[in-house]
Amino acid sequence: MEETTVIASSSFDCGIGSWDLKTGNEQLRFKQCASPSHGLTAVGEKFLAASQLRNASGSSGSVFFWFWNKPQVEVRSFPVESITALTANSEGTYIVGGGASGDIFIWEVATGKLLKKWHAHYVSVTCLVFSGDDSLLVSGSQDGSVRVWSLIRLFDDQQRQHQERTLYEHKFDEHTMAVNDIVIDYGGCNALIVSASKDQTCKVWSLSQGKLLRSIIFPSKINALALDPGGSVFYAGGGDGNIYIGALNSKSDYATQFLGSVSDPSKAITCLAYCADGNLLISGSEGGVICVWNPRSRQPVRSFTFGHGKGPVNNIQVVRKTIVGNANKAQSSWKRNVSSLPPPLEKYERKGDDTVDGIVIVDPPLSSDVPVYSSYRSADFINEQVKELEQQGSAATEIEMERLKLEYKKSILMNDQWQKNYENLLQVVMEEELNGGSN
Amino acid sequence: MASFERFDDMCDLRLKPKILRNLLSEYVPNEKQPLVDFQSLAKVVSTIATHKLLSESPSSSADQKKLQAKPSKSAVDDWVERLLALVSSDMPDKCWVGVVLIGVTCRECSSDRFFSSYSVWFNCLLSHIKNPESSRIVLVASCTSVSDLLTRLSRFTNTKKEAVSHASKVVLPVIKLLEEESSEALWESIVHLLSTIVILFPAAFHNSYDKVEAVIASKIFSAKTSSNMLKKFAHFLALLPKANKGDAGSWSLMMQKLLIAINVHLNNFFQGLEDETVGKKAIQRLAPPGKDSPLPLGGQDGALDDASWNSEQLIVSRVSALMFCSSTMLTSSYKSKLNVPVASLLSLVERVLAVNGSLPRSMSPFMTGIQQELVCAELPTLHSSALELLRATIKCIRSQLLPYAASVVRVVSSYFKKCSLPELRIKLYSITKTLLKSMGVGMAMQLANEAVSNASVDLEGFDAVSSKTPSLTNAAVLKGGSKKRKHASNSGAEAENSAVEVGVPHNHSLKIAALEALETLLTIGGALGSNGWRERVDKLLMTTVTNACEGRWANAETYHHLPNKSSTDLVEFKLAALRAFLASLVSPSLVRPAFLAEGLELFQRGKCQAEMKVAEFCAHALMSLEVVIHPRALPLDGLPSLSSQFPGSNSLASQKHNALGLNKMDRIAGDSSVLSNLWLSNVDVPANSEIQRSIDTTLPLPEAKRLKVGNDLVGSENVQQADVLIKVPESTKESLGHVSERDDDMVPKEVVIETHEGEGLEGQDSLMEEAAVGKKHESLGESDDDSIPSLKADDYLSSDSDIES
Repeated sequence: MEETTVIASSSFDCGIGSWDLKTGNEQLRFKQCASPSHGLTAVGEKFLAASQLRNASGSSGSVFFWFWNKPQVEVRSFPVESITALTANSEGTYIVGGGASGDIFIWEVATGKLLKKWHAHYVSVTCLVFSGDDSLLVSGSQDGSVRVWSLIRLFDDQQRQHQERTLYEHKFDEHTMAVNDIVIDYGGCNALIVSASKDQTCKVWSLSQGKLLRSIIFPSKINALALDPGGSVFYAGGGDGNIYIGALNSKSDYATQFLGSVSDPSKAITCLAYCADGNLLISGSEGGVICVWNPRSRQPVRSFTFGHGKGPVNNIQVVRKTIVGNANKAQSSWKRNVSSLPPPLEKYERKGDDTVDGIVIVDPPLSSDVPVYSSYRSADFINEQVKELEQQGSAATEIEMERLKLEYKKSILMNDQWQKNYENLLQVVMEEELNGGSN
Repeated sequence: MASFERFDDMCDLRLKPKILRNLLSEYVPNEKQPLVDFQSLAKVVSTIATHKLLSESPSSSADQKKLQAKPSKSAVDDWVERLLALVSSDMPDKCWVGVVLIGVTCRECSSDRFFSSYSVWFNCLLSHIKNPESSRIVLVASCTSVSDLLTRLSRFTNTKKEAVSHASKVVLPVIKLLEEESSEALWESIVHLLSTIVILFPAAFHNSYDKVEAVIASKIFSAKTSSNMLKKFAHFLALLPKANKGDAGSWSLMMQKLLIAINVHLNNFFQGLEDETVGKKAIQRLAPPGKDSPLPLGGQDGALDDASWNSEQLIVSRVSALMFCSSTMLTSSYKSKLNVPVASLLSLVERVLAVNGSLPRSMSPFMTGIQQELVCAELPTLHSSALELLRATIKCIRSQLLPYAASVVRVVSSYFKKCSLPELRIKLYSITKTLLKSMGVGMAMQLANEAVSNASVDLEGFDAVSSKTPSLTNAAVLKGGSKKRKHASNSGAEAENSAVEVGVPHNHSLKIAALEALETLLTIGGALGSNGWRERVDKLLMTTVTNACEGRWANAETYHHLPNKSSTDLVEFKLAALRAFLASLVSPSLVRPAFLAEGLELFQRGKCQAEMKVAEFCAHALMSLEVVIHPRALPLDGLPSLSSQFPGSNSLASQKHNALGLNKMDRIAGDSSVLSNLWLSNVDVPANSEIQRSIDTTLPLPEAKRLKVGNDLVGSENVQQADVLIKVPESTKESLGHVSERDDDMVPKEVVIETHEGEGLEGQDSLMEEAAVGKKHESLGESDDDSIPSLKADDYLSSDSDIES
């Protein structure tokens, strides 16, 4: 069974709120979190990670982990610099963080090791997105540049020494101001990347060609993007509190339509998320209101208030979780989780021989609780045996028969021979006897 | 009285006990009656299974139950009684019959009956296993039946503990048998029983884990084990870590032991073929000097250094078994986290693949020719196992291969260059496929060139041969079935016979593997090759599919009736070629698929083929291609399209369209070749449908009418615009002509021309735009004037001017 949860965080210390999207009930409130925009991510189905603003001025950043069932922070780690954008691949095996200096870090979740760090942008990284198959990473920066990285190639030290190629696959520099959000569609190798910027445009890029396809001008700066996976349109949350609709294959330089706006028009839309299950669009605003829209009817379906309307919402993510069957099992999986806390993220890359100790920790499949089956064999076994017996009846026995026949013949011959010998001998003895008698 | 009873039909419940009794009296032997015929036993089993004779299902209505319950029960009772009598018989054949039928009963009988009597049956069977006097066939049958009994028992959740205790009782006696007996059939059924226990009741091995490991390992290391059994033992050994509490530690320990054993064997085998430090390093990595190294596989007295060291064949079959064991460990599912020693696994694979039988110059004096010959004879087997291990490793860690992916790519591509044996190349292709599937686009970027160049070598080899002998194929087909491999004795038609060899390719599997790899590449990263390998691949697949299908389709049916393996092989090949070809047509690309027409015709013909698999796939292919020939962007339901949101402004769509044209025309005006590219590219395709969409939403009319009316609407609108059209530059007009000509077959002509004239208009606007900012403002205002008044949000206009100011 699956459960769809919406999580949201703020730049004020309001923790992380979570709601069941179907029922609208508020779930656990995770404590102690004040994250930058794009600083919150669910790491697979394992836990939540968020980078923290608190130490932003200090020398190191901080990233906290929460488990789904406990409101307290479980693991704290302190990377070398403040992390301005954080994301994880879909399996939850790697966490990628973008730093204020423009560096990008890749950590292995299971060991906490910093696998790779590279200088990606000249200034702070604002957003990071994995491609659909987790093999490419798209990063956006404060200076308006967007880059596409192939992770496999980043790890290929040997090739990098031989070829004087740049590290990135594509670079897109057409934005004139900071990139606020990036989404990538389901096109696989031919995917479209949409980036939103402070310069009041959204630009659509082609991954396969590595170039700008079109640029769409909006009436205000765009803070957030969400993609309608099946509809070839995207939603753009504007600084003026409106949600606009743009078409990926737009014919126009200008945004076409307008979905709706939050109640207080002066409050900017700060984040958007799309939930394909039920086709819902979720928006968060500076006023702390999280609104769930039906994009077809353009009506808000429900809304959540976050942080008592004080803090602006700046991150929303839709997370699908597999629910473990019954309470008992949930308990056991909880125990299992706790016993294996993920180690904190390490500060530095390991050097020398230590870098590759060659162990990868593979998580068991989530469905490992399904009963195992073994198959019955008796019936087949009987058929096999019967066949074998029959074959012996034909081939093997025949051979044996022939052999015996042959032997029998030989024995008879031998017998005759002996008999002859005996008779000869008897004759000789008799003659001797007779002769001797006569002598 | 019974004989006068009539039954409703063949499903009548009253029939069951009758049939069962009949079986019992006719075919199943009793104490006095000897076993007549083994064949009849198979009949008994199948009858029981078809009619569910032992099921004793409670009948639906109560009165029926009253009537039937008693006799039916007693029939099954008789059955069980008879079996128990047989099991305790002294005659081995009768005993055997009893034992195997108990196994069948365990599967077929009702749960109540099973639950009440399984422990009696179990003890009966166990006494046979424990009895040293039992004949071999009885032992084999007992192990199988116990395995079935435990399988059934595992489905009762309330007896978990009892089941485990039962299962644990059987482990040690069985292991003892394994040590003492040397019959392969017995080994096989013992291994099956042990595997059942380890899967269903891992706790049963609690006390005997080390003992079991030692015995199995000694069997693997024994020279007498056949290759078939080696695999089975290795498979069981791979499951064994589940038994030791199923934790990560026992898995890692087993893996470490296996890798050490493999490397130790290789050190011996590769003596003189590789640098000795390689082996030392490998062992060091697995068992660092500082730490305690684990006991060798199979305990202290593991038979690692026996006399058989000198047999190359033996070493290789052992190493292969151990590698197979590791592969199974990697791919079978475990309930705990696994610490996979990726670096060791990969370096092992690399080590094996690096040795190709050639002697390093420094080593040559130490190796005799015979030795080298022996080693070379066994190397392909070893390489094959190593490749299998590599594939299992990739499968196991999937996306987490990332840090190692580049080195794996290097191993694969360098081995591709060295390797010429088809069997190994097939494995390489399957590794390529696994890599692409698990790592996605990033991997396609790395691996594309290697895959394409190798696949084209393997596929083109075929092309050269078959195109030479197209006329002979018919003859070849007719003779292929009866004559294969007999060409030497057939002196009469030598020329034809050589054609038989060529024309009926007996082994397509290499080509199938190559095609599958290409298909996967196109699926994952088809768009990446647009500037490089894509054109070549498309062409290659086109020729391959033509060769695979043409001329032979007529013969497919004849071919199929020959009881010949190569006929199904040919179908597989055809399917693989068609699949890959479809992928090349559908996979995203910047240009229109070059062989679309040929493809459509091919699939159309294929759809009518008698071979159902091919026909089915061709029908599917035509459906997929329909989207390519009729590109569509359907209106989103519910999401209001432009015109319905702003009623009365159905011009908006065309305006928007024009705006796109503005960008495009601007850049490419006058350059007709680029223009045609533009048309072919998918960028413009939605433009047509955009018009369609606006028509659809404004006028929900029947299909036939819709288009006409839509034309009229668009047309009338463009009349207004046509006034401005005079200013359109000459060059643009020309190019527009091209466009509309090209597009004739796609959309009704009128619409297209009108639209493009609209584009011309906007193109002109754009010129103005470039000329002066002030004028740009004006022109935009003009074009927006049609649509904007109906906009609900006024800030649209104002913000537009904000941008410009």
